[in-house]
Amino acid sequence: MVEISAIQQAVIEGDDAATVALVREAVDQGISPGDIINSGLQAGLIVVGNKFSSGEFFIPEMLLAARAVSRSLEVLKPLLSDTDSVTVGRVVLGTVAGDIHDIGKNLVGMLLTGAGFEVIDLGTDVPAARFVAAIEEHHPDILGLSALLTTTMPSMEAAVAALADAGLRQQVKVVVGGAPVTPHFAERIGADGYGADGGMAIELCRRLVGKGA
Amino acid sequence: MVTMSPRDRILAAAAKQPVDKLPFGARIDVWYNYHSGHGTLPEKYQGWNMVDILRDQGAGAQVRHLRIWRVEYDNLELVKHEDPPYTTTEWRTPVGTVTQKTVFTPEEGPWIVYEIDHPFKSEKDYPAIEHILENTRLVPDLDEYAEKERIMGEQGIIVTGMDLYSPMQQVMRYWLGYEQYFYELYDHPARVERLYELESALAQRKLEIIGDSPIPMPVICGNWSDEFHTPVFKKYFAPWLKEASDYLHARGKLTQVHIDGEMRRLVPFFPDTGVDVGEAWSPAPLTSITTAELRAAWGDRVTIWGGIPAVLFEPAQYSDAEFDDYVRNLFKEVAPGANFIVGMGDNLPFDGDIERVGRVAELIDRYAKLPIQI
Repeated sequence: MVEISAIQQAVIEGDDAATVALVREAVDQGISPGDIINSGLQAGLIVVGNKFSSGEFFIPEMLLAARAVSRSLEVLKPLLSDTDSVTVGRVVLGTVAGDIHDIGKNLVGMLLTGAGFEVIDLGTDVPAARFVAAIEEHHPDILGLSALLTTTMPSMEAAVAALADAGLRQQVKVVVGGAPVTPHFAERIGADGYGADGGMAIELCRRLVGKGA
Repeated sequence: MVTMSPRDRILAAAAKQPVDKLPFGARIDVWYNYHSGHGTLPEKYQGWNMVDILRDQGAGAQVRHLRIWRVEYDNLELVKHEDPPYTTTEWRTPVGTVTQKTVFTPEEGPWIVYEIDHPFKSEKDYPAIEHILENTRLVPDLDEYAEKERIMGEQGIIVTGMDLYSPMQQVMRYWLGYEQYFYELYDHPARVERLYELESALAQRKLEIIGDSPIPMPVICGNWSDEFHTPVFKKYFAPWLKEASDYLHARGKLTQVHIDGEMRRLVPFFPDTGVDVGEAWSPAPLTSITTAELRAAWGDRVTIWGGIPAVLFEPAQYSDAEFDDYVRNLFKEVAPGANFIVGMGDNLPFDGDIERVGRVAELIDRYAKLPIQI
């Protein structure tokens, strides 16, 4: 008999094979996918996030936990009913125009996916017009802008301005991050939030969609 | 005290020797490459090199150089496909082919290529990467370095060394990439360890070449961030940094590492590594630590080089008065001033003000003669 707490523990340990195996077992025992997600997978991720915030865990542990959850969700998604909630929120993500760096963006994308967000990754060197088009097409809760270079930080400001010009600014929260980005800069360009690292980005996004602690 | 050159001051502070005033080793290649590429260098500086610009600003200089050897291979075919600004490299080995795509756009600021992807794509690539590492030869080639030193003269130092990374950082950053590295270290630790062994053997050859070279203060690793690296730093990085520093100290060298990331949980590891200098120090607001905190943690064991975050040089973000206040406060934080080299963390941004580099030099002359009593 699988205990939901065992799934939670496997996520905390980042053991994707064990997590998927336990999830399959739980499904076979008739535990609802919604319960497995909320009480097992998401609960495990919350513990991991808290351990990251307290300094006990680092990005590698978060990556492994996120991978375990992502692989488990692939097992569960076909079994979900309309009433089961799997998505915390929807995020459009991209590295801004002129910048081809993607390590930070990819990590945030993986962590968000593991945390239950639907992530639409537009890739790197994304012009402001593509962000606007993506907002119109996908209606996300959050737009995440990444930049590694000081040379491309103005592209963040341009993207925020383009949203305003298109009349979309009030429809989506904008968060920014990347090595040269500061809270001061985020405030100056009118972003809704700034994440210094992957852990902060997850907390910020959860808070912005009303799921934060 | 005999008048010291900018180079003298940098090397003296690195060696924990007395200096007449705070050394200044400015780095401006992002700004310089961008404006050279766009034809937007200030009129006065059109056609100038970086060293001459920094000399004109009254600042000491640092200029980057990637490596002092050529990389040659046996028993494999190296094929490069050029599609500017992209390059795809194929290593065709008897046990498989791996590829990597890079992009190089110096006109936007970078001085080295950026990896679009990494040679490791899946577990099947281990044999080919092992073969590459087993069949790599490093041939000393110092001509370009010597020319840069000639241009630099006494104005500062050429920063070069381990072509960026120590052995495990090379596995992590170059061959696998961060995400794959941590997944593979969990899934296939023995295979990652094998790559580490092979990179360590190559690293020893690099150290031998550096040890025989005239480089006074080689950079031996860098580009860490504590949220990524702390779990592996104690096991892989710190011991190697100690070995490398011991080896190079025995050959009359100082050592430096590039610390422009978030360092809070990595700071405690450094004093025991024997590393002489942490360069490109990027304090708050770019990271979470102040210079005063780092000084307290490292004491007189590791010289700090840096202290002015890149964003401070941007007039759009910080006024002249805010800039002056920050720099003067930095002098207070490091007073009386031993074992500290002023610099930027880690570069002058493309929209930075080159005149603020000169302003740092003026403020040093006014307030930062040692012992600092500001």
